[in-house]
Amino acid sequence: MTALVVLVVVLPLLGALAVALQATARGAGLAAIVGAAGSFSAALVLAGKIIGIGHFQALDGFLYVDAIGTFFAVVVSFVVLLASFGSAAYLRSEEERGELSRFQVRLYFVFFSVFASGMLAVFMTGNLGLLWVLVEASTLASVVLVGLEAKRRSLEAAWKYVIISSFGVTIALVATVFLFYAGSRLHLSTAERLTWIALFTHAHELSRPGVKLAFLLAVVGYGTKVGLAPMHTWLPDAHSEAPSPASAMLSAGLLTTGMYAIIRYRAIALIAVGRSYEETILLFFGFLTVFIGVAFLVHAGNYKRLFAYSSIEHMGVIAIALGFGGMLGVYGALLQVLTHAIGKSVLFLSSGHVVLGYRTREASEVRGVLAVFPLPGAAMLFGALAVAGSPPFGVFLSEVTIVRAGFAGANPALPGLLLMLLAIGFVSLLVTTLAMVTGERPVTAVEPPYPTRGRRVLACAPLLGGLGVLTLLGLWIPGGLNELLVHSVRAVS
Amino acid sequence: MESLSTSSVSGTLVTLSAVLMLLAAFACLGSKLFNRYVAYYGFQSVVLSFAAAVIAEHYGSGELWALAALTLLIKGIGIPLSTRHLLLQRLDLRRDVAVSTGLSTSLIIGALLTAFAFLVIGPQDLPAGAVASSAVPLSTALVLLGGLAMVVRRHTVAQLIGWLITENGVFLGAITLAATFPFIVEAGIFLDLVAAVLMMVAYVSGITRSLAEATASELRELRG
Repeated sequence: MTALVVLVVVLPLLGALAVALQATARGAGLAAIVGAAGSFSAALVLAGKIIGIGHFQALDGFLYVDAIGTFFAVVVSFVVLLASFGSAAYLRSEEERGELSRFQVRLYFVFFSVFASGMLAVFMTGNLGLLWVLVEASTLASVVLVGLEAKRRSLEAAWKYVIISSFGVTIALVATVFLFYAGSRLHLSTAERLTWIALFTHAHELSRPGVKLAFLLAVVGYGTKVGLAPMHTWLPDAHSEAPSPASAMLSAGLLTTGMYAIIRYRAIALIAVGRSYEETILLFFGFLTVFIGVAFLVHAGNYKRLFAYSSIEHMGVIAIALGFGGMLGVYGALLQVLTHAIGKSVLFLSSGHVVLGYRTREASEVRGVLAVFPLPGAAMLFGALAVAGSPPFGVFLSEVTIVRAGFAGANPALPGLLLMLLAIGFVSLLVTTLAMVTGERPVTAVEPPYPTRGRRVLACAPLLGGLGVLTLLGLWIPGGLNELLVHSVRAVS
Repeated sequence: MESLSTSSVSGTLVTLSAVLMLLAAFACLGSKLFNRYVAYYGFQSVVLSFAAAVIAEHYGSGELWALAALTLLIKGIGIPLSTRHLLLQRLDLRRDVAVSTGLSTSLIIGALLTAFAFLVIGPQDLPAGAVASSAVPLSTALVLLGGLAMVVRRHTVAQLIGWLITENGVFLGAITLAATFPFIVEAGIFLDLVAAVLMMVAYVSGITRSLAEATASELRELRG
């Protein structure tokens, strides 16, 4: 078991290893793909084993895996796999054009690997202090990706990102300290007082004011990473300035990681403080976030920012689903985590084609993507449809589940409001994307983003793979996945 | 193990250190010179390491002594020296002009935030008579003051110092409230802090240089 966990975490570092061995961009990209594929397979095997045994613990709880941890590991390692394909193609084209130097490309692959490995490690620890350390470490690695192009805009975006999220994560550290303090009356060893399993089983004995503060601060602190409003301001800039595969990793990986931490804190608060406290906080931040996300979707001029605001909206939806609670709410939230991650990866990766081809990030200057790049254009169109929540894609299913969970609750106005906001978000996301995808071929020549056939295959494979999985999830949830989801919901309630 | 009480000598020393740290944060808010920011931050960190040493002595814990030493070396000496050399001298930064509110206004807001910290972290939430009951409100005030410094100052170096003050506040709260944090976690926190500071230093110099280039290129365009 331990070996499997180590494989999940360490294999993505193959990309960094390749760079250390003086590999070219091509070699590093291929190594990253191999590593990510290995890590994803290991996560799948781990998930299969965990369903059988419940959970696995070693090293005083510093290493702890349960169903929800492996679920998130499967999601994020799949995203890393998709993004590795994208990176291998995108970075080589950027290097050939002289947009990035050789050094910058190497820097990218090193920090891409560290970022991926850090995120996956988050799901493999049961110590909430170590979880904090790993979340911060993976964030710092992703900062390098945001500022990679070293132009004025990307430097500013990276600065905004590092300073806001460091401040946020400091708040999350306070949350960790308060949670530790909340257990001071229990007879636990000091390592156990930060360990998830000890805290969760003794949750009803923890000091209530301590847990209350800890949960609120965790939602604000880790919420900064998730992009919950009003702590979301770094997110659109960082997503828009990062190279497209890195944007996919940020949106589908990092936000998910932050949400994972919140889900853990919620489970403890639910038992220690009671339902109405966590419900109020999550619904407040959730609705504020969806509202802000939708409001900015309506007039985002830059298409990568548009997708970023859509991520904010989705994170709000997940927070609302957790607030609605119950088996159904948490199930819907986890399903949304999965479908959002795949849908957003497809969208950001397809935007990589457009960034390279049209050399602009303004949606109004991009027309006729479908005519110029048929496959990426179609992926962008279907990706947008999927992310916006249209059937037959997975997001539709998860959003329906969440709304159903809401109607099962006391106040039917809340799911009603959510439906309305989702409808506005649907229209605004599609209006802009449709205009970009359809329309006449642009008059000025569009450069082919990927000159060689190999690179075209690398760039298109994740689009097809992601869309395929997303369609499948809309029609049918495989038995194994359903079992993993149900076990995950039980692990945190 | 006995928790540190307010009335003991060690407890008084920790409370005194917390007050000195608060004063240093106010001094930072009331200044406009970059090297003063760094100096006050350095002073604050040295005081923090002293508080950590007092707590380590009380608990007789080697791990806490190591933490106190790390605080002194990294926060008290390393970060102030490196910011001074890598940023202030190399980029020739002297006076902070990018301040959005006047000094007196920000000091008044700071005082209000301190009062607010004492209001929200009521003593009823904290163990009675323990040093945490006086130090945690002070550390909350430090967190808020650091945040205030980040909001009212627009210069990247000032924001960096603001964040570091916040971080010191959290650390003070952590050692008084939860002195026995596992060492691995504490070491990880330090590692993250150092990485974050290095990264921020790199971005500050990158941004300052690109701004300087931008101004220079505008000057070239306007020639003749």
